[in-house]
Amino acid sequence: MSAQRVSMRRRSTSLTLALLALGLLTGSVTAQEKRLSLLTWNIPVYKEKIDGWIADFNKVHPDVTVEWFDKKGPEWGPFYQTQVVAGTAPDIIDTQGAIWLEYAANGGLVDLTPYLERDRAVKEHYNPTFLRTWVYEGKTYMVPFYVSKTLLFYNKTMMREAGVTRPPQTFDELLEAARKMTKGEKSGFVTLNFDWLYWPLLAMNGVELLTPDLKKAAFNTPAAVKTVEALARATADGTINKVAWTGRWVEPNNAFAGGTVGFYQAHSPAFFYVRGGGPWINAETLGAAPMPGGFATPNSHGLGISKSSKHPELAWEFIKLATSDKWAYTFGKTLKVFTGTRVDSRLLEELQNEDPLAASVMKTQLEHLDRLVATWPLGKDAQVKEAFYSEFQAAVLGRKPAAVALAEAERKVNRLLAR
Amino acid sequence: MRRSRAAVVHGALVVVSAAMLVPFYWVLKTSLTGENIFQYPPALLPRAIHPFYYVDVWYGIPFVRYLTNSVIVSAIAVASNLVCNALAAYALTLRFRGQRAVILVLLSCMLIPFQATIIPAYLITKELHLLNSHLGLALPLCSTIVCIFVFKASFDAVPRSLIDAARIDGLPEWRIIRHVMLPLSTSAVATTVILSFVWSWNSFLWPLIVVRDPQRQTLPLGLSTFLSYMENTTGALYAFCIMVLVPGMMLFLLEQRRFIEGLTSGATKG
Amino acid sequence: MLSVQTWSPFRPSAFAGLVHYEELLFHDEVFWTSLWNTVVFMASSPIAIALALGLALLVDTRIRGRGIYRAIIFLSYPLMTVAVGVIWRWLYDEKVGLINYVLLSLGVTRRPIAFLDSYEWAMPSVVVAAVWQIVGFFMVILLAGLQNIPPNLQEAAALDGASAWQRFRSITLPLLRPAIFLCLVIGIINSFTSFDLIYVMTGGGPNHATEVLITYIYRSAFVLSKFDYAAALTVVLFVFLLALTWLANRATGGEAGAVDAAE
Repeated sequence: MSAQRVSMRRRSTSLTLALLALGLLTGSVTAQEKRLSLLTWNIPVYKEKIDGWIADFNKVHPDVTVEWFDKKGPEWGPFYQTQVVAGTAPDIIDTQGAIWLEYAANGGLVDLTPYLERDRAVKEHYNPTFLRTWVYEGKTYMVPFYVSKTLLFYNKTMMREAGVTRPPQTFDELLEAARKMTKGEKSGFVTLNFDWLYWPLLAMNGVELLTPDLKKAAFNTPAAVKTVEALARATADGTINKVAWTGRWVEPNNAFAGGTVGFYQAHSPAFFYVRGGGPWINAETLGAAPMPGGFATPNSHGLGISKSSKHPELAWEFIKLATSDKWAYTFGKTLKVFTGTRVDSRLLEELQNEDPLAASVMKTQLEHLDRLVATWPLGKDAQVKEAFYSEFQAAVLGRKPAAVALAEAERKVNRLLAR
Repeated sequence: MRRSRAAVVHGALVVVSAAMLVPFYWVLKTSLTGENIFQYPPALLPRAIHPFYYVDVWYGIPFVRYLTNSVIVSAIAVASNLVCNALAAYALTLRFRGQRAVILVLLSCMLIPFQATIIPAYLITKELHLLNSHLGLALPLCSTIVCIFVFKASFDAVPRSLIDAARIDGLPEWRIIRHVMLPLSTSAVATTVILSFVWSWNSFLWPLIVVRDPQRQTLPLGLSTFLSYMENTTGALYAFCIMVLVPGMMLFLLEQRRFIEGLTSGATKG
Repeated sequence: MLSVQTWSPFRPSAFAGLVHYEELLFHDEVFWTSLWNTVVFMASSPIAIALALGLALLVDTRIRGRGIYRAIIFLSYPLMTVAVGVIWRWLYDEKVGLINYVLLSLGVTRRPIAFLDSYEWAMPSVVVAAVWQIVGFFMVILLAGLQNIPPNLQEAAALDGASAWQRFRSITLPLLRPAIFLCLVIGIINSFTSFDLIYVMTGGGPNHATEVLITYIYRSAFVLSKFDYAAALTVVLFVFLLALTWLANRATGGEAGAVDAAE
């Protein structure tokens, strides 16, 4: 940005400090050997097993030193991007959701297609549906590390009290049942909203974000206006907890875990958070089902390689190892997630014996894979999301009429796509 | 009469303290019980108090190492803030060409958020080969412009005659600062210490980006361990926040006399 | 430099002229919203200072346990913002928050108030939390200022028959000017740089109702990957601040406390 300015800012001190620095230079600059670095996303709990990957890798490549860092969600981006600018980007990265798109579109990631073509067996090891979610302009940039998609959690106690007998099958039924459950501090419905996780609500009403060629907005339709109006009404009368549109991760989870929310649309990791915070949760009280129509937004983690990596071949070897049968199985087993590889069916089978409630949630993750939505490969995904969501949010919170907000969103999205 | 006035003051202070303590009380309570705070109706009194979250925190991260790192970094930051800012402020009280421009630029830069300059700051630290070092961690906090002005305001209040007298006595400039200016600026010193301590102690984004070596992590970086989303670890998170707070509060309590009450003596001397 | 280029961490840069500035000034309503919110945030510091001054006067009296009161009131300042943010988020919650619980129980309102989730309330709510966090620190600064006032001045004035209010107006307040000015400066800085609290509580939402310049710059750079644009924002911010400082300096005849350069 402005190196001058920073130096100006510290002009009073930089000289003193430079002198000090000379005296204190630590041995941080060591001889350059073969180094690989790995940046994961919020799995510090997994340290022991990652040390296992590294040990296994060093059996084959004893001359390579592997460094591992882990950063949690909000800091992952600033950390990685700073490292990229400084030319010290980690070789292998684990990204969540659609962040990779931005990087891929800007040429920041290694195209993995040739590697996958070369190692056909490895390619077949991955679940093709999930693998396809990392394709941008015909090239695959990431392979699945662990996968998840949205589903509907329901609070059986609240349903019983309100006389709701089954999880909803349609959008209207969803709102109607939610309305019945709403009373005082209780609200019928909450959703996560980051990374397009709310999109199934629109998809089940036949709304498309863009035209098939991804060049223009396609969402400003009467059906969309109707849907948004319905959501706004439900929000105004308390059926939908406003946290659905203003919270991020912690707030909706805590709301549902507090036992005051009937339906909760979230992806499977929410289950473990919610179970930790909600002593009421057991097989009698918690249910899991697909959203009406089976629509779900995936929110998976993939492994990819930074373009600046000096050893892409080694990095690829490392990724293969980390997602191999052995380690994919260990990962899924330890963290109770699916890995987007062949081992998932075995994981599910075993989970059904060990933890039936978790299994009932996790089962949804492997179903309706043909109904994945919000997977448009847009280089400007984050900006389009922001443009759409800020208007959508204004509408559902009753700040603007739905038709006005959608028209404005259409204008903004088209403007973004045209540039 | 006197007693009733004291009662009124006590009453007002109790009300304010209560209001100030409510959020804090919930932090403390959650750290001891791990309840979901979003339950309804709110549980005013804690049930089943236990210290396990504190134990978790102690063993969950290398607490002592992080604490040591934090103490070192904060000490560097506080010390260099006192030295650099006092020097810079003294320079600004003298007259020189372009002084107004310097002040104007400093004032404007003061308000530029660190988040906006983090990438250049990183590049500079890298060029100085200070990544992964305590000094590098403290670097951006080593001189905060606001403290320069804290000192300058205080120095400006020192009577010119005193400085001139010192000069006539043949005192070198640095001794004027040390023996004339600083003793008369205790409140500026206190403010600088508190500000630079709290800022460096709680600094999070910078250490996160500049440190790769686990041996050099500071306390706030331990936070991510307790915010992990796979399991709900709220109790440990709050226990952690309390444990990070304690050293700062100790410092305040220990130094309170000196910070606040000791100032009176400084004033009478002046 | 970046602000006139197209740039991302991944690509070599290219010159782009002033497109970012054009976008910013003419097409970006969020920029203006965040600028306005920053000003609102800034305007809240006098309230915090007045409050802190009241508290400082109270704990400056010779009463028992004043050290404890001081510690309690100061406590909120060094507490990590992550915890503060989550707790305030809950206090304000529309459905299960403590504030609404109390208001409903006392019958002050019929319907719970969606503090952080509505456009009207979000900004004031964030401001209250910010004031809560900083007031203890202001109190300490002002207290230090109060202790600096020689007690014999007060006594002399009292002997002359000046009332408490007169003494406050004509002795305490003028002598406290440097401390108050310092609080003001810190308050203004805070409104430009305090990031964590807003980020944890609302993330700038709903729909930018609590977006301030700093959250917007951060978001542009690290969430939307528009580094070049964020750089342009920073430059505009800088120019704006420079102008503001210059004006303030002019308006006060170069005599605004700390700013009194060589006249």
